[in-house]
Amino acid sequence: MIELYNVTKRYPGGQLGLSDVSLKIAKGQLVFLTGASGAGKSTFLKLIYCEEVPTEGNILVNGRNVSSLPRNKIPYLRRTIGVVFQNFRLIPRKTVFENVAYLPRILGLDRKNQKKLAYETLRQVGLAHRINAFPVQLSGGEQQRVAIARALINQPEILLADEPTGNLDPELSEEILRLLLDINLRGTTVIFATHDRDLITRVGHRVLTLREGSLADDRELPGSFYSQEADKTGPAPSEEAH
Amino acid sequence: MTLVQALAYFTREALLNLVRGWKVSLLAILTITVSLFLTGVFLLVSNNLGAVIDGWRAESKVVIYLEPGAESQAIADLEETLRQAPGYERVALIDVVTARQRFEQAFPSMADLLEGWGEEPLPRSLELSLTTERLQDPNLGTWLESLRQNPVVMMVDDDRDWLDQLEAVVLVLRGLALMVGGILLATAMFTISSVIRLTAYLYRDEIAVMRLVGATEFFIRGPFYLEGLLQGLVGGSLAIGSLWTIFSVAKSQSTSLLTSILASEFLTWSSSLGLVALGGLAGLVGAVASLSRETLESPKAEEPPADWNEEDS
Repeated sequence: MIELYNVTKRYPGGQLGLSDVSLKIAKGQLVFLTGASGAGKSTFLKLIYCEEVPTEGNILVNGRNVSSLPRNKIPYLRRTIGVVFQNFRLIPRKTVFENVAYLPRILGLDRKNQKKLAYETLRQVGLAHRINAFPVQLSGGEQQRVAIARALINQPEILLADEPTGNLDPELSEEILRLLLDINLRGTTVIFATHDRDLITRVGHRVLTLREGSLADDRELPGSFYSQEADKTGPAPSEEAH
Repeated sequence: MTLVQALAYFTREALLNLVRGWKVSLLAILTITVSLFLTGVFLLVSNNLGAVIDGWRAESKVVIYLEPGAESQAIADLEETLRQAPGYERVALIDVVTARQRFEQAFPSMADLLEGWGEEPLPRSLELSLTTERLQDPNLGTWLESLRQNPVVMMVDDDRDWLDQLEAVVLVLRGLALMVGGILLATAMFTISSVIRLTAYLYRDEIAVMRLVGATEFFIRGPFYLEGLLQGLVGGSLAIGSLWTIFSVAKSQSTSLLTSILASEFLTWSSSLGLVALGGLAGLVGAVASLSRETLESPKAEEPPADWNEEDS
């Protein structure tokens, strides 16, 4: 699904973002991307959704070489990739519905269907009841869930999460983590960039470690998160839980 | 998304932008209004003056003043010569009595100037009417010069000189219209461009999100282009509306000859629509010029990520 071949990204100032990285991520996989600040995590994600172009090497997404994708084709690729950021990137003057429904609006759906789709997606993240609220009226965890709903609204094959729990306290981080794991269980490939080693250790799965732009480590880690979850009786954060 | 849906979306967003930033939008619209209004004034005056000159030129005559002692046969020969001339329409002999009557009618306050002369002070003349084409013929001057050599001719007078001078004034006015209009329109384009750039800057967070979720450049830029176009069209319409109002008032209220000449006819429909379209075009060009790739680009697109830290790496 996602393949990188000898990918290097050097920024105009000369800084090295990524250095000769080669790897494959299978469809439906959950991958943690870790490393210190500046190790290249954000660059890695940006290269996949074509915010950046590699200086060298090739990137294949669903068999399509996106490293040389013409500018006018990039929007169509992005419609198949959901992206979530640490700072949520919600528009404060827009309601939750308007924040979530950007893509349906771009695709030309009428308002009724936009609302229906937004409601369904917000229900998946447990926020359908806040559809008319403004971001400022939501907690950090709720804002991140709105951002995740925005990323999920077109049922993307890939979800890229760039430090999605970085601005949240441990309890809310747990909530978002559970949500992303749930999304992965439904078949979406999730790449979760974080420098939170504790979180990675608890969840397990495949972990890619970047150091100074190079892929320093690529291993499967066993985790205790699922067994702990099974012990819990509380449901995952869905609308039913609210 | 179909083109109709896209246009509906662009219109809604453009109108919202105009309403949200109504103060700066109003500034842009007024700049366009002033520039097109002044251009319209120059066009209106020059068109009306040009029409008056054309009318005068069509009615202009060549007047051949005859020597007081000229014999009837010589005058008849001259008349025959005139009838054979290219572009001839008609010729009339104005005798001294008719000449005096005309003078007294045209200048009643100066009628007494003609009193006390031993003989009639005004000479006989032949009034020659020529076709418009002939009047505009550059060879006419040479032919008139040859007439002046005729022994029965005292003087030949035609209106071409002062009509040519008036036409030069019209040309200058039209040149001024182009120059002033051009400068003001460039200013208006710059204003619209700045307003659109400011709007795009204010909404760049939203633009970044739209780009992130897969909006095309057409979808992102469309509302801004339409906003510029609307500002130009509204400004152009206001300019024509103001010009028409002032024209109507001037025409109905003023009795002066100058006003009746300069404000006899309003701009044609095509000229009026052309000015409005020019406003729209200026707005669109201003919007296109303001929205370079860099203006809409997220601020750190070509820089290292926000968490970049040399020490950490």
